[in-house]
Amino acid sequence: MEQENVLLMQQVNKTFDKVIALSNVNFELKPKEILGLLGGNGAGKTTLMNILYGLYRADSGKVILKGQPVTILSPRDAIRHGIGMVHQHFLQINNYTVLENIILGSRVSRPLTANYSVEEAAIKELCERFGLEIDLSARVETLPMGTRQKVEILKALYRGVSILILDEPTTNLIPQEVDSLFETLKIMVREGLSIVFITHKLREVLSICDRITVLREGKNVISLTRKDASDEMLVRAMVGDKMDLEKSVMFTSREGTGAVSASQDVLHLEGVSMIDQQKIQELTDISFSIGSGEIFGVAGVAGNGQRELAEVVMGIQPVTSGKISFNDQEITTLNTKDRIAEGFVYVPEDRLADGFLNKASVAHNLILGYHNLEPYSRKGIINWKNVNESSRKMISEYNIKTTGPDEIGGNLSGGNIQRVMIARAFSQPSRLMIAHNPTRGLDIPSMDFVYQKLLEHASTGAGTLLISEDLDELLLISNRIAVMYRGKVVGILPREKFEKYEIGRLMSGYEQESK
Amino acid sequence: MSGLESTITDFLKLTFLSMVPFVLASQGTMLSGRTGVFNVAQEGIMLVGASVGFLVSYITGSNLIGALVAMAAGGLFGLILAYFTTTLKMDQFVVGLALFFIGTGLSSLLPKLVIGVTLTPPLVKTLPEIPIPLLSQIPIIGPVLFKQNILVYFSILLSVFLWYMLYRTNMGLRMRSVGENPKASDALGINVSSNRYITSIIGGMLIGLAGAYLPMVYTGTFTDLMTKGRGWIAIALTFFGAWSPLPILFGSLFFAAIEVLSFRFQVGGSFIPYQFLSMLPYIATIVVMIFTFGKSRVPAFLGQNYDRERRTL
Amino acid sequence: MTQIRKFFPYLISVLAAFVVVGILLWVLGFNPLKAYQTILFTSFRTPNGFIQTLLKWIPLTLTALAFTVPLSSGKFNIGAEGQMLVGAIGAAAVGILFKDLPPALLLPLVILAGMLAGAFWGLIAAWLLYQFNINEILSTVLLNFISFALVDFVATGPWRDPAAGHPTTVPIGAGGFLPMLVKNPPLHSGIILAIIVAVAVYFFTSKTTSGYELVVTGANPRASKVHGINIRKMFLFSLVIGAAVAGLAGVIEVAGTHHRLIEGLHSNFPTLGLIIGLMARGKNQAVPFVAFFISILEVGGSAMQRTIMVPVQIVLIAEALILIFILLSDIIKRRQK
Repeated sequence: MEQENVLLMQQVNKTFDKVIALSNVNFELKPKEILGLLGGNGAGKTTLMNILYGLYRADSGKVILKGQPVTILSPRDAIRHGIGMVHQHFLQINNYTVLENIILGSRVSRPLTANYSVEEAAIKELCERFGLEIDLSARVETLPMGTRQKVEILKALYRGVSILILDEPTTNLIPQEVDSLFETLKIMVREGLSIVFITHKLREVLSICDRITVLREGKNVISLTRKDASDEMLVRAMVGDKMDLEKSVMFTSREGTGAVSASQDVLHLEGVSMIDQQKIQELTDISFSIGSGEIFGVAGVAGNGQRELAEVVMGIQPVTSGKISFNDQEITTLNTKDRIAEGFVYVPEDRLADGFLNKASVAHNLILGYHNLEPYSRKGIINWKNVNESSRKMISEYNIKTTGPDEIGGNLSGGNIQRVMIARAFSQPSRLMIAHNPTRGLDIPSMDFVYQKLLEHASTGAGTLLISEDLDELLLISNRIAVMYRGKVVGILPREKFEKYEIGRLMSGYEQESK
Repeated sequence: MSGLESTITDFLKLTFLSMVPFVLASQGTMLSGRTGVFNVAQEGIMLVGASVGFLVSYITGSNLIGALVAMAAGGLFGLILAYFTTTLKMDQFVVGLALFFIGTGLSSLLPKLVIGVTLTPPLVKTLPEIPIPLLSQIPIIGPVLFKQNILVYFSILLSVFLWYMLYRTNMGLRMRSVGENPKASDALGINVSSNRYITSIIGGMLIGLAGAYLPMVYTGTFTDLMTKGRGWIAIALTFFGAWSPLPILFGSLFFAAIEVLSFRFQVGGSFIPYQFLSMLPYIATIVVMIFTFGKSRVPAFLGQNYDRERRTL
Repeated sequence: MTQIRKFFPYLISVLAAFVVVGILLWVLGFNPLKAYQTILFTSFRTPNGFIQTLLKWIPLTLTALAFTVPLSSGKFNIGAEGQMLVGAIGAAAVGILFKDLPPALLLPLVILAGMLAGAFWGLIAAWLLYQFNINEILSTVLLNFISFALVDFVATGPWRDPAAGHPTTVPIGAGGFLPMLVKNPPLHSGIILAIIVAVAVYFFTSKTTSGYELVVTGANPRASKVHGINIRKMFLFSLVIGAAVAGLAGVIEVAGTHHRLIEGLHSNFPTLGLIIGLMARGKNQAVPFVAFFISILEVGGSAMQRTIMVPVQIVLIAEALILIFILLSDIIKRRQK
């Protein structure tokens, strides 16, 4: 039976500077359903929903709610129309309590005092109804990710939304928390809500969504029910013919990565602990080795010491105790500059903040970290001729769309900025690569390209420390996976023993029985 | 009253008298900072407040009108700061510095245009003390707390009011969230821009008033650059007070005490050359900063402009 | 043609500022055309006018560079005033203490002492930043106020010139005088020093590895740190260099212009230096040219006050307006993309 749409978006167009984000996109949502909005990074899913939520303004297009056209110019309008959104990176005030975060921006019964008892009662009732258990007086910065997400959901429920958008909600959750989220979503649908589930993960969409809409490069590709969908159909829809699926890393089942040569350890950490400047113990007694040609994965919920581990291996933060060796030479006190000279390459997780120079030229960006080495400079003077030559080579090899080495970095589009950083990372000979969430923000063909490059890099005998919050990625190409929890390594699994729920248990703090 | 008692009373009374410009300017800085706007133009705005306040007082014969116009001038500077940073998204430090120059230049120019050069400096009546009946009779505390000019009372009440507003009302909850995470506030329908405009304007008004206080209470006239760095010190005091109204009040009091002491020694004569004594307040400020910078809890998005449509990778 | 088109926004900003100030002048009862005639052409009417312009150009360029060099690494040095004064104190101290030394020894000593003194003054703020993370805007400004007291102490202390009405020291030894390039009107060789410094700064930031590190530190400190650059050292380094340059401005005023330490010798140079640095959008290579333009305005402004009684603060207002319009034109350019 054809149901009336609860939401209809028609012919939506949006361009950012020179990049077309959405082109004549149509979108339908039916009552009491979970609709999967599927596509790779850059497909336009988040942009479309940000327009619906009033954070962006479409260049053209209509939004029709329950048969009536509406104008949404800000989140306030969206909320008024019963639309709520849970963002990928939670929009919470870290030092406020759960209660304060939920009522922020809404009308309260006693605005001139800090007495929120009326509101508190209402929220407790919601928790009952939707099966959510949260301590309202806790400060959100002390809560685990899964709970913080529930706070985001409560924020929307508290405002009486009838449509809830979730943007990549499983990014920071362990498998157990994902299950819990899906249960909550089913309860919400039973209570009458409609849900838009934005994701790039096939598995999720096929397990929880009633219907699926696929976007690619800002355009509609296909909409279908879960019954009618299959893995291949969806992959083809997401990727088009941009990728040779036969040769891809992501979509072919591999026989497992080659056995790691038992020869030299490229990297060896022994008892490494780190107390940072704020006197917080970030790392405790970390020990592991990475063999030649090995991709060593590190799993864990964000914020459990992964960044600190990467920084300690790169020499950006000093260790408080313990040893680090590289090819049997101790390098514990070696500084970053010298480690780079030894062949360390770091792909930081927040690539724009930690890896890119917006106000400097493309050439400046491409030599960052290598600027004091030959052939770029000698005896403290930079050889700009060599720099420009090298830059032009990288621009063509990595397909970077730019007017030349002198163009200001900030002028490049997001995708090209990523290409600059990938070019910089992979174009230097390296013996140890530390990659933190290397494919975050990349579209599917680019993700595959990075995986190919990583495997290629490993085949040269170099070692790779692959830190990722995307479990699927780790399972795909790692030889072994270590799990971090609160700054400790709580378990290391070899490829034969990879199992999602076991890893999920480790990620939430259970120590492994036998390492 | 014994000699010791009267010395202590005089000292404390003078301290409370001197803390006013610091309290007003720091609270003004704190207010806009709480929504993320880091005002560094205080010195210029205070000078404009002093200059305008004095001229208007002189012409109209009323300190009240002078103070109000000084506040309006300060508010105007706050409005310009908000417009250039919040709407046009220019760097807050650069705009603040530019306003500092303009304020400084204007404050010197206006008296020359309006009054010209005179042999004796033109004077206004200084603010009278307003004793509170009964309470002002209490030994020591009486004259110190209850026999002051109106702006001393205003500063104390203002600090308490700001504390209550920021931490006990819904409006304060929203205001603070804008400085802690503007994206989160925006997504909940809070108007980041208007919060920033309001706090910048009111902050500017307070800073202008702080400037007007100087001729109205100390010398009775305006002299070039008479703020002598108090605007900059106010910024340090805001950090010292952890961007919170009540600690700022106490920090200002502490600082005023140092200023009064150093002046006392300069006048009273000591073996230390007076120039070095006059450095005391500034050195004290640096010491204060050593202890508070890096430890002070600062609004997370202080100094950063917010652009709803700016995309991150 | 496109090169010239790059200058349009600056031209328009200047014209717009002049129009606004012209209206202000007219409202106040002055003749705008006569005022502008004086402001713009005094520098070129007489040899003396031109030399005065050059003499002003020296401290303006140096104090502007004192601001733009640290700005390259992202730090705001508001302390050129204090650094210049302390540099002057250093120069005067050495010049007075060793006044009988021959020029070959005294002059280099004076210059070195001044630059080191200025560098030291900047080092205090730089160290406070490095060690305690104290915002350099605040520390440099506070140090300015402290330096005023220091100058007063020196100029009224043991080296005081009792014959002078205003706090001033006795002259430095003749060996410390900067040699004159032109006798009449007097132009001293300080201008050569200033030119050398401007060229050296340009060469340093664009051609050397350390210069590259400075620039990228300013462009993105986090990214630079992650890629092996010691950014805290960069901040310190850039502040100290900027302070040394400001110190040199002080040296030149003592050794070249006054031959003694006079309270207030810094005049409005450091304030204008800041404005020039901001007008030049932080680009070291643009500073000398912008500084020259401002020198013309300043010389013309003083003449204007002398001859037609227009208060000289009008020139500061004009300069501030030019700055605002230039900053605005940046926004307009950004919007147009």
